[in-house]
Amino acid sequence: MTELSMTELSPQLLLYIATAACLFAIGVYGFIVGPQTLRRILALNIISAGIFMLMVVLAYRGLANGQARASPDPVLHALILTGLVVAVSATAFALALLGRLKQTQASPEHQP
Amino acid sequence: MMVLLLVLPLLGALLMLLWPKVAPLLTLLTAAVCSLVALQLVSRVSEQGSLQILLAGWPSGLAISLEANSLSSLLILLTTVLQLLVALYAVATYRRDKLGAGFWPLSSLLQLGLTALWLSRDLFNLYVCLELLGIAAVALVSLSGDKAIKPALNYLLLSLFGSLCYLLGVAMLYGAYGVLDISALALQWQANLLSSAALVLMTLGLMLKAALWPLHAWLPAAHAAAPAPVSALLSALVVKGPLFILCLLWLQLAATTQAQAMAPLFSFCGLAALLLGGIAALRTPLAKNMVAYSTVAQLGYATLALGLLLQFNQPLFAAALWLFVLAHALAKAACFLAIGEMTATLGGKRLNTLKGASQTMPLAMFAFAVAGGSLIGLPPSGGFLAKWALLQGLWLQGDQLLYLLAIVVVTLLSAAYVFRVVALAFDRAKPVKPDFAPHIVPQWLALLPALAVWAMTLYSEPLLRLLKQEGL
Amino acid sequence: MSLLLFDTALCLLLLALALASMLSRQLVNAVMLYIAFGLMMALAWARLAAPDLALAEAAIGAGLTGALCFSALARQQLDITAAALSWPQRLWPATFVVLMLGGILAALLQLPSVASPLVAVAQAELINSGVSHPVTAVLLNFRSWDTLLELVVLLLALLGALPVAPAEKSATSWSLGLSWSRLLAPMVILLAGYLLWAGASQPGGAFQAGVLLAAGAVVLRLNQQLNWLSWCNFWVRLLVVAGIAVFVLVALLALWLTPANVDAVWLSWPPLLAGGIILLIEVFATLAIASTLTLLVVGEPAPQHNRTESV
Repeated sequence: MTELSMTELSPQLLLYIATAACLFAIGVYGFIVGPQTLRRILALNIISAGIFMLMVVLAYRGLANGQARASPDPVLHALILTGLVVAVSATAFALALLGRLKQTQASPEHQP
Repeated sequence: MMVLLLVLPLLGALLMLLWPKVAPLLTLLTAAVCSLVALQLVSRVSEQGSLQILLAGWPSGLAISLEANSLSSLLILLTTVLQLLVALYAVATYRRDKLGAGFWPLSSLLQLGLTALWLSRDLFNLYVCLELLGIAAVALVSLSGDKAIKPALNYLLLSLFGSLCYLLGVAMLYGAYGVLDISALALQWQANLLSSAALVLMTLGLMLKAALWPLHAWLPAAHAAAPAPVSALLSALVVKGPLFILCLLWLQLAATTQAQAMAPLFSFCGLAALLLGGIAALRTPLAKNMVAYSTVAQLGYATLALGLLLQFNQPLFAAALWLFVLAHALAKAACFLAIGEMTATLGGKRLNTLKGASQTMPLAMFAFAVAGGSLIGLPPSGGFLAKWALLQGLWLQGDQLLYLLAIVVVTLLSAAYVFRVVALAFDRAKPVKPDFAPHIVPQWLALLPALAVWAMTLYSEPLLRLLKQEGL
Repeated sequence: MSLLLFDTALCLLLLALALASMLSRQLVNAVMLYIAFGLMMALAWARLAAPDLALAEAAIGAGLTGALCFSALARQQLDITAAALSWPQRLWPATFVVLMLGGILAALLQLPSVASPLVAVAQAELINSGVSHPVTAVLLNFRSWDTLLELVVLLLALLGALPVAPAEKSATSWSLGLSWSRLLAPMVILLAGYLLWAGASQPGGAFQAGVLLAAGAVVLRLNQQLNWLSWCNFWVRLLVVAGIAVFVLVALLALWLTPANVDAVWLSWPPLLAGGIILLIEVFATLAIASTLTLLVVGEPAPQHNRTESV
């Protein structure tokens, strides 16, 4: 692991891993730039999609090498399922807060 | 015993959801029982050493491992006791402050999240705990109505972003080593680009969640917008969760070279937080914001202690780090409860409302002053103990004049913002009239943790011994 | 070779959709692009030998999140278009992100190509877990504590969202939609039951089944059916809470039933009963997930005592 250019990964895996990392980066960019809150919530979802994709690829590793094993890494798959539920809960909560925020901003008595 | 500490708040919260009428009673009950159990846990751990369980009885690596060492058990005790105190305060002010019915189950679930976090030694489980903590905290902030929605949303988004950064780090580490258990990971750890990148990502996320400078900007608005008991819980406990994980990562996982490289950064961030947070606390016109900025500043001590610990590997710094956390938790709970009580009674959010408070509400003001003494680090308070350990450590290293000087400056700064309030309160010329007769019970409840933080010195010997030997 | 071509096309499409979703001026377009992105993501995961995850991602990433975003959009005015950002406002974040991406990519290149040693351990212990599908075994036996906490997170999101849920706009139901949804309901229940049952040996499981049920319930609810489904109803609260409650109670029971000569361990199922216990937990978790998600999507004005209006 001394040389940067040395990698044991197959081109397919590299492709998917790079995509996952790029998705993370796109999400981070969207999160920082915004500007609407809904867009930032979407950006968070893209970030999490990127991370989960990385995990899916990591779970797939052994299969691509043609190792004698039938199924991908179940631990990672379980982690992803857990992560998905957590992500969707958080998104739902954020959207509820956003809805309330818009409502209070829209109603006239709250205008200073 | 650990199971009881986890199951009780959870079952309590479920029952509260089914029968909202008995919720306050149930909260008090679970918090009281959990405090007793936590006390038992502390004594057992200090006698027999740390307890470990592999959940569900599967082999290590496959199972999630929990560990109650002396630090974890102390933090659990702190959590349950503060939970009990805050619940008592909430019961005492329930009618007046119109705290939503949501407070009770949410605070119980918050307690569950914190306890689970202090015990967990599994990277992914820690992620779930972090999310649990974050969502519970945001839900609690949003309880105080429409004005809190914007800070709550901001808090939620940043907290989610922080946990996702952490999660990416976890994914990278699992990809590299194929384990999630921290002790198993520590055995195989190699200092390479991959592990460094994962550490940096996780550190960024956790610093954002723990509101460590320079990623603290969300904290003052969120903590100030929350109802008083909630801000007490948030400032005293919730920001410490990510800090705990941060210490776990850097003390148990990171290789020496990585730790050495990161240490000056932590020290710098700590000092900057102390300076800038202190200045902001001195300048803000709002009472609760002042206390919130003081949290930012005080977290700087913990960051500084972590940086020094990584640099010099001196056990005194570990003791200083956790003493700061304990002392700050107690003092800040007292501060928020006292300030909350005073602003509610005197009717105003600005610091000016506290004018003459030593006359109108002597007890609450006394609580604030006593807690403030610990924040400054006056002997013989808990804050002093922590600072003393820090100074002693620096002294033993020798040639650390710059740090010593900086600590003197920031101590003066914290003294300035505490005395600003105290001086206002003793300005008896035209005291602000209270809106209604001050309640006695909540003021006493604010005083209790303030007294407890001074009582920490009575146990300074065992505390120092426990925290020094653990390191973590 | 053609497979590599397919992979490349899929990856490029994913990136393009994500980028377009982040850069598009109109929020509506952003949401639609995101939904398309979610579907493509599901396809990618199916390609990567993760059909159960693809199912979940299609249900959540594309379906649930999309529905939630659209209902949020419906509440705020659609006319909000972003003011064009100036170059420095775009350039600095972009530079930062590109630098970060470079660092992460360089780090990821060092990943080993072998799978985790845990895979072998999990395979070996699978016989003792009570189910034959490894993912279900991990979720509900090896790492069940995570799953329990995850259910708590879901509950917390509901608890947080309920008091702030904006007032519901009353919509009249469409008669064709009504009859359709009545036809749909039994099929959805049947399908959800199958997914749940399949979870023990094939891709599927509590979560996917729960999302499916929730989707059915949302459709019915939007057509003014199932009006009893609200947080004020004690039985609904019981249903929401049941997932966690059954989980904890079964675990306590298992703890209590452990023979005296064995160390009692939290969340460990007796090997003989494990299959039944897991199915029991899954059934209640499915119901709880379905009702929680339905309440989250449909939302409702909170009961009066729950609101803390600041004056």
